[in-house]
Amino acid sequence: MLNVSIMDILVGSLFAGLLIGMVLALVALGLTIIFGVMDIVNFAHGEFLMIGMYTGLLTAQGLGIDPLFTLPVAGVVGFLLGVICYFGFIKFLLRGPMVAQLLGTFGLMLFLRNLALLIFGSEDRALHHGILVGKSFEIGMGVIVSATKLTCAGLSVVAFLAVWLLMNRTKIGKALTATSLDAQGARYMGVPTQKMNALAWGIGGASVTIAGALIVNFWSVNPFIGLLFTMIAFAIVALGGFGSVPGAFFAGLVVGMITELPGFWDFFTYTFEADWMVDIPMTSFKYMWVYLAYFVIMVVRPRGLFGWKQ
Amino acid sequence: MKSMLRSGMVILSVLAIIGFIVPSGALAVKEIKIGVIYPLTGGAAAAGRELRAGVELAAKIANSGMADLPMTMAQNKGIKNLGGAKIKLIFKDHEGNPTLGADLAKKLILDDKVDGILGCYFSSVTKTVSAVCEQYGIPMINGSSTSPALTKRGFKWFWRTTPHDKWFTKDLFELLVGLTKGKVQGVKAVPKKDIINLASACEKTEWGSHVSGLIKEFAKEYDFKLKKSLLYAAKSADLSSEVRSLKASRADVMLFASYTSDAILMVKTLKAQKAHPKIIWGQDAGFEKPEFRSTLGDSISGILTRTVFLPKVMDLKKLAGQVNKLYKEKTGNDLGGASARAFTGLQTWVAVLEKAGSTKPAKIQAAANALYIPGKELVVPWQGIKFSTSGDELGQNVLGSGLIGQYQKGKDGKIGLEIVYPFDVSSADMIFPFAGF
Repeated sequence: MLNVSIMDILVGSLFAGLLIGMVLALVALGLTIIFGVMDIVNFAHGEFLMIGMYTGLLTAQGLGIDPLFTLPVAGVVGFLLGVICYFGFIKFLLRGPMVAQLLGTFGLMLFLRNLALLIFGSEDRALHHGILVGKSFEIGMGVIVSATKLTCAGLSVVAFLAVWLLMNRTKIGKALTATSLDAQGARYMGVPTQKMNALAWGIGGASVTIAGALIVNFWSVNPFIGLLFTMIAFAIVALGGFGSVPGAFFAGLVVGMITELPGFWDFFTYTFEADWMVDIPMTSFKYMWVYLAYFVIMVVRPRGLFGWKQ
Repeated sequence: MKSMLRSGMVILSVLAIIGFIVPSGALAVKEIKIGVIYPLTGGAAAAGRELRAGVELAAKIANSGMADLPMTMAQNKGIKNLGGAKIKLIFKDHEGNPTLGADLAKKLILDDKVDGILGCYFSSVTKTVSAVCEQYGIPMINGSSTSPALTKRGFKWFWRTTPHDKWFTKDLFELLVGLTKGKVQGVKAVPKKDIINLASACEKTEWGSHVSGLIKEFAKEYDFKLKKSLLYAAKSADLSSEVRSLKASRADVMLFASYTSDAILMVKTLKAQKAHPKIIWGQDAGFEKPEFRSTLGDSISGILTRTVFLPKVMDLKKLAGQVNKLYKEKTGNDLGGASARAFTGLQTWVAVLEKAGSTKPAKIQAAANALYIPGKELVVPWQGIKFSTSGDELGQNVLGSGLIGQYQKGKDGKIGLEIVYPFDVSSADMIFPFAGF
């Protein structure tokens, strides 16, 4: 027989799912922008995040400033990285077939990861000081929220709004959308599509490195951290619909909730006082449900929930 | 005079012929090649560096001798019974990958023609590498893999010096029982109901799953209630749902089996989620690494970890202090569980070769099965090394033992590990209950 207060498990899991969902959505935002404009799947996306994490960490430690103030630095690094990658590498890949583009970004992923390994070594590094580092507070009902995740979630909403406004309310956004719909047509209409592609890589890079600099307040970084985030970002982008900004946000929340399934399971375990449920290893498979959702959506609705690209 | 000259010419001719026929190497001092397979890159690279340094130091002592160290290996320059042959180490990096480990073992055996293998730290890699050694009939000594299953396969070419997780996990339950009986230094007897509820979170690997199973087994045997037992994906990006699940179980004692990055993330998440169990215990690995201490700082005060070696051992054993001095000169760090056991692993290899007086696998096998190294010759606090040759744990050292350490702030303000178990070698009062983060 189990006798514990259970509402905090339910509310705690709900909150945690929403917050981690927004964090993951922010990670996936850059991927969906790049895909939306250029139809390129960037396998090196997680490595961009890793570079953002190292930028935040090293800038904070090197200059002795709070990690929060490193966000603009990470943004600039990410923007430049995106633009350099586009002009130095991606532009040439576009001439080749789809497979060349896939393998090309895969190669970029391996290159960036090994470069990081060479420069930073394989140890986990983490921030020890900062306004948000290690801070959390209780919001009632025994639910504890991490300050970093809350800030990250807030910034995620702001970033999504900003990108949505950029894409839908500005001339640049219209030019980006035109490029993504029909690059040749846009070129005929005088849209500098090369610059638009570079801009998409720049914005995509900046958004993910900012996410990296933000989450390094909580997570430790090593050169191998990228892959896990790339996988989750892929699942989010596929669920939400390739190239859809609101879709990525919504799918981020769904994925966040899915990763909290073990919490909901605990809630039902204690609610029904079902001892047999205790032994079901839900936590062991928490990412499996994410990829299962990815698989199901690919079968049922290949363009994703909000996708408009066929 | 003529006959003397003729005799001289004959002798010279014979020597010249011998010189041509016999390869030059046969008359030189032979080299003994030991293949050493460790995780030198990847997530466990820090541990890999410690392991490597431990083995290298042991090889240096064995090859060049150090008369003031009271161990047989340090008295001979090389393997005495093999004409002073020197140990040559060939390092390979398994990157934590069991398949790669097996490939490397084959390469070492077939291409490098090693006389034996030492490794591999990760139980999962030790499992595949030892299977290759068994297939080729090449002896393998393992110094630091603690999955109990490794010595339960009836292998004839595999010997393990370190005590394994079953012993370590039993130590933990002995400590809990000791707490209820007032045996722990500085703590009055605690009613069992105060520490009866346990919860465990172990990584989903061969090692972690075994530890999780052992905790279940011993909880039943010692009559504790295991409220939650979860396995999580190793190298996780986020452990908050796991920690919430542990908290929801309202456990008094939380038990973990994690490597470095997960151990750090787990404790950070416990702190962020304001978890407040009475005891936090880690099954070595990540909980004992220098990064764990340097990253988490003072917040780990009160956390327990099982270990096989602590700097405090040096106060108990003079030899450990002497070897530690050499290790510190080499690396700048103190000996730890990984390096001390790696050192002992190679020391065992040297003793086996010395006893065998040959590099023939069959002779080495016989020597290993009859080996005895007394505890006074070891840096680790064991009674000695003697391998089991019958029963269901073939090749397991039966004279090993574990320690449980607790992170405490010393007089110098630095966080360090104090021995709290075995009770008779306690180096400080135990902090109980855990004061919170």
